[in-house]
Amino acid sequence: MKNPDAIVIGAGIVGASSALSLTNAGLKVLVIDRGAVSSGTTGAGEGNILVSDKDPGPELTLALHSRNLWFEMQEDVGDSFELEAKGGVVVARRDDGPLMKLATEQSHHGVTIEKCNETRLHELEPYLHPDISSGVFYPQDAQCQPMLAAAHVIRTVVQRGGEFISQAKVTRIIVEDCAVVGIETTRGTFRVPIIVNATGTWAGELAELAGSYLPIAPRKGFILVTEPTKKYIFHKVYDSDYVANVASSDADLQTSTVVEGTRSGTILIGASRERVGFDGAMSYEILRTLAAQATSLFPVLRDVQLLRAYRGFRPYAPDHLPVIGQDAKVKGLWHSAGHEGAGIGLAPGSAALITDAILGRDSFMDGAAFSPARFATVNS
Amino acid sequence: MIIVIGAGPAGLAAAEAASRNGSEVALIDSSSRLGGQYWRHRSKVTGYRSNRADEIFAKVSAAQSITHISEANIWSAEREGNLIRVNYLQGGIESSLTAEKVIIATGAYDRTLPFPGWDTPGSMTPGAAQSLLKGQGVLVGKRIIVAGTGPFLLPVATGLAEAGAEIVALIDANSPLRWSLSPLALLTNITKFSELVYYVRLMRKFRIRPHFGRAVTTFANGVATISAVNSGFHIKSGKSQAMRADVVAVGWGFVPDLSLGGILGCAQRVDSDGTVIFEVDENQLSSQPQIWIAGEATGIGGADLSLIEGEIAGLAASGQKIRHALLTERVRKQRFANALKRSYPVRDGWREWITSNTTICRCEEVKSQEIKDSVSELGAEDSRTSKLFTRAGMGLCQGRMCSRNVSEIVSGITQCAVTDGERIAASNRPIAAPISLGQLSDGKNSR
Ligand SMILES: Cc1cc2nc3c(=O)[nH]c(=O)nc-3n(C[C@H](O)[C@H](O)[C@H](O)COP(=O)(O)OP(=O)(O)OC[C@H]3O[C@@H](n4cnc5c(N)ncnc54)[C@H](O)[C@@H]3O)c2cc1C
Ligand SMILES: Cc1cc2nc3c(=O)[nH]c(=O)nc-3n(C[C@H](O)[C@H](O)[C@H](O)COP(=O)(O)OP(=O)(O)OC[C@H]3O[C@@H](n4cnc5c(N)ncnc54)[C@H](O)[C@@H]3O)c2cc1C
Repeated sequence: MKNPDAIVIGAGIVGASSALSLTNAGLKVLVIDRGAVSSGTTGAGEGNILVSDKDPGPELTLALHSRNLWFEMQEDVGDSFELEAKGGVVVARRDDGPLMKLATEQSHHGVTIEKCNETRLHELEPYLHPDISSGVFYPQDAQCQPMLAAAHVIRTVVQRGGEFISQAKVTRIIVEDCAVVGIETTRGTFRVPIIVNATGTWAGELAELAGSYLPIAPRKGFILVTEPTKKYIFHKVYDSDYVANVASSDADLQTSTVVEGTRSGTILIGASRERVGFDGAMSYEILRTLAAQATSLFPVLRDVQLLRAYRGFRPYAPDHLPVIGQDAKVKGLWHSAGHEGAGIGLAPGSAALITDAILGRDSFMDGAAFSPARFATVNS
Repeated sequence: MIIVIGAGPAGLAAAEAASRNGSEVALIDSSSRLGGQYWRHRSKVTGYRSNRADEIFAKVSAAQSITHISEANIWSAEREGNLIRVNYLQGGIESSLTAEKVIIATGAYDRTLPFPGWDTPGSMTPGAAQSLLKGQGVLVGKRIIVAGTGPFLLPVATGLAEAGAEIVALIDANSPLRWSLSPLALLTNITKFSELVYYVRLMRKFRIRPHFGRAVTTFANGVATISAVNSGFHIKSGKSQAMRADVVAVGWGFVPDLSLGGILGCAQRVDSDGTVIFEVDENQLSSQPQIWIAGEATGIGGADLSLIEGEIAGLAASGQKIRHALLTERVRKQRFANALKRSYPVRDGWREWITSNTTICRCEEVKSQEIKDSVSELGAEDSRTSKLFTRAGMGLCQGRMCSRNVSEIVSGITQCAVTDGERIAASNRPIAAPISLGQLSDGKNSR
């Protein structure tokens, strides 16, 4: 592509969705990745699209809208990435007070909830541990296969006149008079006035290439994959401790299990959260903890074989909110990164926000809470 | 204490050598019997120079300081301070053992190539046919074609014939003339001729006809297509013939099992034939302190080489002196192993044998067309991304069988050579053997 209107750096789910919404808005978009499509965190996570785990606030607003955009994206691109509104079940093992309080608050902000007594809970999840007697059903929670989604979305972008160049690492962002004018990559130099930095966990490095700053760091997570089984699990099921962990700022390991069945019959159990940089070492202690939590929710899983474990690095910002908007120093450099453990769910919503911002249009929400400017004062 | 993982030729030799100075050895293997791939016989070991097996079995059994832990599947290993902990499942229960030193001798499994019909009943690997016979006394069929490439097809064919099967044909895709590329290896390993003579006699006796430059390229309903192939494994047109058989046993050499060493961080490299193997120094020490590796996991070379490597590893781990002659002997055997690689290469012409409908990943039933589409339609560029899009390699065997083939198919389309990084990544798995979630969580409570 000779003169793209915009370059999206990163072919994960966030970059792919951004490229699609910019293309649909009429821009000529070039997508660049140092690897193949889905080769980053998008290829190492799960496909949960959750509203249930979010407290009322800007992230919940984004999540609710984004969840609906997922279904619009499916209409637009074709039913090719296993999108399914299967619903989530959050259970309380001890005191159900905090969970019920959260659910009530969520329900005032657009989340559909159903508080479940013992009978209803076990109707939804017949294999759940008999001692668990209280929970909340969230029918809006959904799931997709994120790697396929990113690939099909990029394919659609290309069909609509965009271009994708893989194996091209961005090595320099050319800035003149505080504005982006182009990029250098290992596969050529491109002139362009608009860049979307969708490099997830590596977004801080990209900002640095432009002489700016973003505090995005990795948060490691493990996932267990079992052999294919009979259908034991019907929704995404997790313990209400999970919500506390997601929002935690503690660097130590936290595990709280989300258990879910996939279309291929395997069960995914995840995920741990740990801040240990990019240290990829396997920890069998974590696997044991995840297994213990999953089997305590579903005793029937005791006899199911573990086939595989894998890990990924979630991109996180100090305040656990994604970074969406124009760089505080460099014009034309737009960030959409740092979605931590919710990047799949939040991708289409973030894409709509960034597209509206780039085009100067009104958007479905005020994105001020996500602005990169919130870090600018810290480090300048 | 020294833990030896694997009781094949390499592990047996390692355990025996280490026990010579009284070192405590725990010899762990997933099978019920000693012997590994090749010597796992129900009754007496038979075949060429089977006395080697008898000798070492006798020594290992007699050694007071060796404990044999059988039917123990090691699923993981981890460092604990100065010790290495090995976690295994035995009779449905997880146990573990710690030691200062570990010798890994986990061997290799058969390499397969897909062709139309390779996933139908009656098609199997030579290793499977042989282990059913040796291990369970089961003869897989009456009329059998043994095919693929490599000298290990000879003991399989003659073994099956001795047990009463009719070997319809013994088919090697390579030409024996390739041995002329390695005159030095032949001259320095003159004793190998007597092994050849041994097998040629047996083949005469059972009227087994060898065919070279041919391959089984389809198999359906008891009929195999035997195609003439050139040195690149491309099918020569108009030179195919049909043969009837109950079973086709097809194997293309071996793939080492790297899981455990990989988990412990032992460095790996890609061998001249594309196989990923461990790096070891002249004492068989891996890149990790306290961990030695011997046998097929350091390069495919056959039982003779495995025995010597095992002995060196056992001596080194137990702090005994290693005679210079032993090291020279290994060099000689390695020369022969390299000649084997030169003589029996696997070329990528096989990619033309498959049709769009041929299954590539049997666990997840992924067809060749799906792999191709994942590249041309979705942008997969290696076996990992192709796996994410198609599920090839995500099933029970975790890509042990298909990931290398997927890499080669993908590379055929992208026209980019498979990188060493991709080969190494695809050879490593964090769970060396399946474990149930119940066993895994019980292990937490017991610690
Ligand atoms: C274990 C685990 C479980 C998870 N589960 C869920 C879940 O259930 N639901 C959910 O919503 N989220 C989940 N997540 C989080 C989610 O996976 C991420 O938030 C999301 O994938 C981030 O997408 P991305 O497109 O921003 O980043 P990525 O997918 O990482 O994409 C960034 C891309 O940028 C490229 N890149 C980087 N640097 C350069 C450069 N210099 N030049 C060119 N290209 C570059 C990379 O190659 C990469 O492809 C999970 C994460 C983990 C680790
Ligand atoms: C069909 C066939 C024919 C052959 N013919 C010949 C021949 O004629 N001449 C020749 O020289 N060589 C031959 N070979 C090759 C020979 O088998 C190998 O060279 C030899 O077995 C390698 O020895 P090893 O000790 O490295 O591994 P192996 O013999 O494979 O032993 C490895 C052992 O480790 C165990 N193990 C692996 N992983 C684990 C785990 N996680 N937990 C517990 N235990 C584990 C396995 O169960 C196995 O018992 C043949 C091989 C085959 C399959």
